[in-house]
Amino acid sequence: MTVGPGRARGSLERERRQAYWLVAPAVLVLAAVALYPILAAVWLSLHRFILVFGERRFVGLGNYAYLLGDARFWSALGNTAYFTVVAVGVELLLAVPLALLLQRAFPGRGLLRAAVLVPWAIPTVVSARLWAWMFNPDYGLINRLLLGSDINWLGAPGYALHAAILVDVWKTTPFVALLVLAGLQGIPEDLYKAARVDGASPWRTFRSITLPLLKPALLLAVLFRSLDAFRVFDAIYVLTEGGPANTTETLSIYAYKTLMRSGDFGYGSTLSVATFLCVVVLAAVWLRLLGRQEEAR
Amino acid sequence: MRQRAGLGTALAVVAFLTFFLGPFFWQVLTSLWPDGELTRSWPSHLTLESYVSVLWGRPFLRVVLNSLVVAALTTVFCLVIGSAAAFALAKLEFRGKGLLLSAALAVSMFPPIATVSPLYLILRAVGLRDSLVGLALPYATFAMPLTLWVLTSFFRQLPDELYRAARVDGCTPFQAFRRVLLPLAAPGLATTAILVFIFAWNEFLFALTFLTTPEKRTVPVAISLFASEYREPWGEIAAASVVATLPLVVLTVLFQRRIVSGLTAGAVKE
Amino acid sequence: MVRSFFVVLVLGVSVLSAGCRRGGGSGSEDGRDGAGSTRLVLKYQPLWGPPEPFRELLAGFERDNPGVTLVTEALPNSSDLAHQFFLTSLEGGAKDFDVLVADVVWVPEFARAGWIADLSAEFPPERLREEFLPGPVEAVVVEGRTYAVPWYLDVGVLYYRTDLVPRAPRTYAELERFALDAKAKVPGIQGYVWQGRQYEGLSCNVFEALWGHGGHAMGENGRVLLETEAGREALAYLRGLLVSGVSPETVMGFGEEEARRIFQEGRAVFMRNWPYAWSEAQKEGSPIRGKVGMAPLPTVSGEPGFGTLGGYQLAVNAHVSPERRKLAAKLISHLTSPEANLVLAVHYARNPPRAAVYDDARLKESSPFIAGLREMAERAKPRPVTPYYNLISDVLQSEFSAAVAGLRSPEESLKRAQKQVDHLMGEGR
Repeated sequence: MTVGPGRARGSLERERRQAYWLVAPAVLVLAAVALYPILAAVWLSLHRFILVFGERRFVGLGNYAYLLGDARFWSALGNTAYFTVVAVGVELLLAVPLALLLQRAFPGRGLLRAAVLVPWAIPTVVSARLWAWMFNPDYGLINRLLLGSDINWLGAPGYALHAAILVDVWKTTPFVALLVLAGLQGIPEDLYKAARVDGASPWRTFRSITLPLLKPALLLAVLFRSLDAFRVFDAIYVLTEGGPANTTETLSIYAYKTLMRSGDFGYGSTLSVATFLCVVVLAAVWLRLLGRQEEAR
Repeated sequence: MRQRAGLGTALAVVAFLTFFLGPFFWQVLTSLWPDGELTRSWPSHLTLESYVSVLWGRPFLRVVLNSLVVAALTTVFCLVIGSAAAFALAKLEFRGKGLLLSAALAVSMFPPIATVSPLYLILRAVGLRDSLVGLALPYATFAMPLTLWVLTSFFRQLPDELYRAARVDGCTPFQAFRRVLLPLAAPGLATTAILVFIFAWNEFLFALTFLTTPEKRTVPVAISLFASEYREPWGEIAAASVVATLPLVVLTVLFQRRIVSGLTAGAVKE
Repeated sequence: MVRSFFVVLVLGVSVLSAGCRRGGGSGSEDGRDGAGSTRLVLKYQPLWGPPEPFRELLAGFERDNPGVTLVTEALPNSSDLAHQFFLTSLEGGAKDFDVLVADVVWVPEFARAGWIADLSAEFPPERLREEFLPGPVEAVVVEGRTYAVPWYLDVGVLYYRTDLVPRAPRTYAELERFALDAKAKVPGIQGYVWQGRQYEGLSCNVFEALWGHGGHAMGENGRVLLETEAGREALAYLRGLLVSGVSPETVMGFGEEEARRIFQEGRAVFMRNWPYAWSEAQKEGSPIRGKVGMAPLPTVSGEPGFGTLGGYQLAVNAHVSPERRKLAAKLISHLTSPEANLVLAVHYARNPPRAAVYDDARLKESSPFIAGLREMAERAKPRPVTPYYNLISDVLQSEFSAAVAGLRSPEESLKRAQKQVDHLMGEGR
């Protein structure tokens, strides 16, 4: 925007200077808590650095070379990717009908809207604990409901990661539904009216009007959620700590264990930098898709 | 036809309500379940024993207090610094604006694990390891971008004329911000405050790493370590969870509209 | 509404932070309260059992040392988490506790890191060797200096149901046969429960199986050697327990407590656990009271097996002042005396690390089963003794877990473990 035409150039200059002063603290904070640490992590990742013994020496790209041959890293990457894809996919599948429901006028809509936010507001750690109790093989609600089942949800490879996914779905579907709902509300009512006049079936209306116009909102939801799911830590740490047999170990868990359990800050930093790079790549891909979407419009 | 649609809606509502609220109610029920009877299929009676032992038998109130302190500190810190920046981003012309907003967005996508080791070393170096104040700083990693985005979109919604009028009346940009726009952005500030508060209250990784003294633990850390310290007292864990969650649930239900608008403002309005 | 929310927020912060300062202030640097009394902090893992006898033990120290107030602070029960706590607090130079318990495998590491004080003056290694059992002494004496004093000793043992099996099995084959026989007789009962979750307890179970197959894990020059024939056999044996149904699949999620609960409810024939489970099992109202026996772990050959040496040692935080260090050493001496050994044995079923206590008439009378554990205690074997143990334990846990879960063959697991262990210990670089 521009200031009134009567104002002199100097005033504009002053405004600019004040603007810098106003944003400076925020910039400083961001630099201190994000920019510097990420650069420092890269620097640390070039060292063998055993915190406990103060062992610290430069090893160049040695840690990265080891990383490429580290089967545990690749399996953690695979687990993380699987977790992200399945969790976000299921969340979308649940969120779209939920958003459509929330858009309708029916008695108790306010209640439902408030109710779906409850899982979102509960701390992840608490929801993980809550589900851990429900997953308890002997006394948990789930095995009680599946009469006679003695599935060891959190202890058996094959089940544990899916149990973690369920916890994530429970917690974050509401957020996705809200994003979708905001998208739905942006679709002009006239289009639906026209479709009704043409006698289109509800499914057709959904397929040819709602879904295409919802695409930007869906893509955005996928962007946010996949980046969030990719760094999953809390839920898995509480549910399984990465076990059994590392089948639920995600990149964040592996990096955390290496850093804080073993105190290996060198290789641990390498793992965290690798996680960061994965997120960057993921974000770049999504932003690109999103950009293409914008252009198409 | 109409009736069938109504029935379908009702079924869907019930299904979603069961899925989202069922586990929470199960937790509440567990917290009231007598301790020795958890292995039974149904409690013979309900009791508040678990609450009594959580609130008076453990330093749990202290833990709740810690979380309040950290979350409140983070909220105040980010709002004070973030509102000024958000105002400038929304209403003033300067170079690097787009860059700053994208940078904030990028930071909000940082996996916390990527910064945890350097932050640990920094906090240790400045003597803020194992301190609640020291914890509020790293919380800015996620809280500051959130503040910037939500507040910027709120300031943008305020008409430019307001700002221009204030300037014509002789206010400096900063005065215009403090005297005119900031009070008008109060709903936006409240929304942001609630969101930052909830995010800070729920944060786990940093709290787990930077705090070592049991008396300084925050709610998520305390709840995650409950079982390991004692013999998996599920009833008490449930009671503690309910105590730790209830304020959030009340806050969410009360401010539901604001939270939704805040969550979607940053994301969709752009 | 909005404004009042803020007012509440700001008020809340100021009130709470004031409370915070007060609360935090009580643990001031030198730990002195106003009246010249000294506050000595002991960090330990809660002893399961009645709190009174231990409280009385601590009170005894306060009586002997007027002006000293003892404060106990609990550590997370899980050894991994407790280690993480020490890693971040001791590495950060924490001074807020004086005496700490250290797991057997931590002493070499903490000593090398300079986190725990050299106690050789107060507790010369020669004296320890005379008075204590060999296993724990090896764990606390690092390069000829004493860094900790054994507090109580743990050793992996086999629990069995005297009403369901003829006698304690001596070989692995016997264990499997007895378990399957009992399972056929008693519907719904599990055979053998142990610790299969991905955590340190699993490593203990694996090392016991390794020794039971005649193997060992320490190679030359302090290298931890995993790729051995006995190692492969050990992992194959543990996996086989799950495959044959001797152990339920759920053991993959078990720690000590999960296993104990199943066993205590009378739902398992055999259990591998530490001695603490005994007093729980024999408690009034326990469904298996009087029907439990304890024996050395079985082996391939039928020789009594080695149990993993566990238990805790008391050490002094190296960051505290010399005067506090002296007082801390005094507290350790009090807590590791023969009398204290006896209290821990009688009331908490913790095995005495002092050899002589096993011959004490009072122990024989009130806890004959502990007195009878002497042979097992002497066969308690430490996991690889190296300052790097903690660094590699995470690798061991995950690879052992993979083999037990059947995700990888024992060969493959050990190969991967060896590669990572060599990398972490700085070999092959």
